[in-house]
Amino acid sequence: MYFLHLFILALLALFSGIILVGISRKISARIHWRYGPPLLQPLIDVIKLFSQNSISHGFFFDFGIILTLVGSFILIFFIPVSNLYVMNSGGLIAVIYIMLLSPFGLAISAAAGANPNASIGITRKFLLSFAYEIPLLLILLSVMTHYNTISLVKIVDMQVDSGWSFGSGTLILSGISYLLILPAILGIRPFEVVNASQEISSGPLTEFGGKHLAFASIQHSLHTYAVLALFVDLFLGGSSLFGLLKPISSTIWGSLIGILVFLVKVAVLMIFCLFINAVFPRYRIDQAMKYIWKWPLLTAFVGLLIVSLLN
Amino acid sequence: MDRNQIGKWFKNPSKMANKYSLHAIYFCTGCGIIEIPPSITTRWDAERFGIIPVATPRQANLFMITGYVSTKTLKAIIRTYEQMPEPKYTVAFGSCPINGGMYYDSYNTIKCLDKFIPVDGYIAGCMPRPEAVFIGVTHLWKLIDMDKANGYKKYRENYPFYRANQEQLFGDLDWPPLFPKENTNG
Amino acid sequence: MDELIKKLQTDFDGLEISTLAKTRITISTKKESILLLLSYLKRMGYDHLAIISCNDWIKDNELELVYIVSHYLEKDYGPDSEIDKFNIIIKTRIPREKARFVTVLDVFENAEPYERELHEMFGIYFEGHPRLTLLMLERNYKIPPFRKDFNTKKYVDDLYGNIPTIEERKKGKK
Repeated sequence: MYFLHLFILALLALFSGIILVGISRKISARIHWRYGPPLLQPLIDVIKLFSQNSISHGFFFDFGIILTLVGSFILIFFIPVSNLYVMNSGGLIAVIYIMLLSPFGLAISAAAGANPNASIGITRKFLLSFAYEIPLLLILLSVMTHYNTISLVKIVDMQVDSGWSFGSGTLILSGISYLLILPAILGIRPFEVVNASQEISSGPLTEFGGKHLAFASIQHSLHTYAVLALFVDLFLGGSSLFGLLKPISSTIWGSLIGILVFLVKVAVLMIFCLFINAVFPRYRIDQAMKYIWKWPLLTAFVGLLIVSLLN
Repeated sequence: MDRNQIGKWFKNPSKMANKYSLHAIYFCTGCGIIEIPPSITTRWDAERFGIIPVATPRQANLFMITGYVSTKTLKAIIRTYEQMPEPKYTVAFGSCPINGGMYYDSYNTIKCLDKFIPVDGYIAGCMPRPEAVFIGVTHLWKLIDMDKANGYKKYRENYPFYRANQEQLFGDLDWPPLFPKENTNG
Repeated sequence: MDELIKKLQTDFDGLEISTLAKTRITISTKKESILLLLSYLKRMGYDHLAIISCNDWIKDNELELVYIVSHYLEKDYGPDSEIDKFNIIIKTRIPREKARFVTVLDVFENAEPYERELHEMFGIYFEGHPRLTLLMLERNYKIPPFRKDFNTKKYVDDLYGNIPTIEERKKGKK
């Protein structure tokens, strides 16, 4: 049972990650009034990258990229989808820790590659992580205080009973704050400072080719999926459909429909972020930090105050 | 378009993926650079062919040499070409890389690019329009299917001769040989 | 403009001034008076060196250096106005064998890239120039490329025609 959950969660994450990146390229293209690449183009890119002979710069270069991929992969197992979950202990606090493994691995690779463009990109990545971690911590703290637990599974279960967190009066400010910093965590415009290909020739990914770039692409799709799935679990009720699925929730059909509802919510959220991505230019890194530490931080702080006062 | 041939995908996925995902390095030289931005932006969309420009040669697959090549640029082209991971494809625009073209008697431009790096195909036009570029790309797909676009294999096998040509033109080169000679007996 | 011509003809010897248009005059002079003339003109208000160019008079066995100076207008009067910049074209001749001249960097600081280009294209050595290295070309040529006795076709056939194709090199050069 445990291995089945592991297998299904991993496959689901990989598949939906690739489809999400494909949807993003297709919808950006349609907004620009052009046809886009086929939906499975990221998969074609990954297959091509695996068949290339890449150049390695030593042991730490390879080790860093594997650490990045592993960091994103393990994050998947902490986020429950309908009633599939692998790890429950640690809950949200473990999620906060593991989210920082991927930038760390990327920093090791960039240091081993010894390209100045990569070091500029890594500086920006860490600064951006530092910027959005603070409101993110406040948001997660308010959610944990409201539901009085750190376990994501329990949070999802409680939302099935009492309605979505986003709709409740206490947590709406935290939800709005999370929506405001969601482009920064995903790394899409206007916060595309890290992988800015025109300015610093694709930042930390400068020396990656072949298999390393394939792993980095997979990590990018998994990261996208994980961040969106976290939002859906915390604020949009996981895979609940206004309580309609409660009678069949422990059967296989219930799980399957739950997974489908979950994926639809993730897709809707992704399309919302894409509409912002398609029309905005890029912030500088100091402008990005100033933005994140102004209104999103204030909203998250006020949300935390409201939650702690009303509880 | 043979994108629906699932059987080919299962038999040789790397060849099909190399075809449909050509990442071109954004190396801008010669006259033809003016034709690249229209090809990759909205009006003549190159992304539906799987072609996107990438910033570094380490991530690239396709090298487009757009026009004439001067001796100064040839040094940069050789270094960029050698940094790209294999398998890699080169496409040249116009008639200047074939025999010098309009600059056949210029002291500063290369008359035949194939003597220095292997070129897989040429696209006619001075400069070719984006439609001609796309027809050239689909032709390159056919060549990859027939296993005829193996310029990178020629470079690997005949590297000493390519290097001898490059050294005859430039004198001593600043960079070491890409494929060092193994010591053979006798 | 007319007062300037009068002043020049009283203060300098051996000038040949001809008026090409209302705002354009040409001065031909000896090569010894170039520095003095340029600093005189700069003091008169013509402080913009537009370009230094060169012509190759191969039949006279001389190279002709051309300096074009102008002045900065106080504001942009637009393309249709009647106020036009005054352009002064100064020409000298230097011998063609072992071409040498003095640099005008002390008078106009922006003469540095022009003299560098003339050095690599025509082979003129400018005494006092701090950096006479290659600007646009990639190698040194025995005969500088812009001179009229540089045969480009012969150079191309010698250099590029002798590089064999890969198949020919594999079979062994004949």
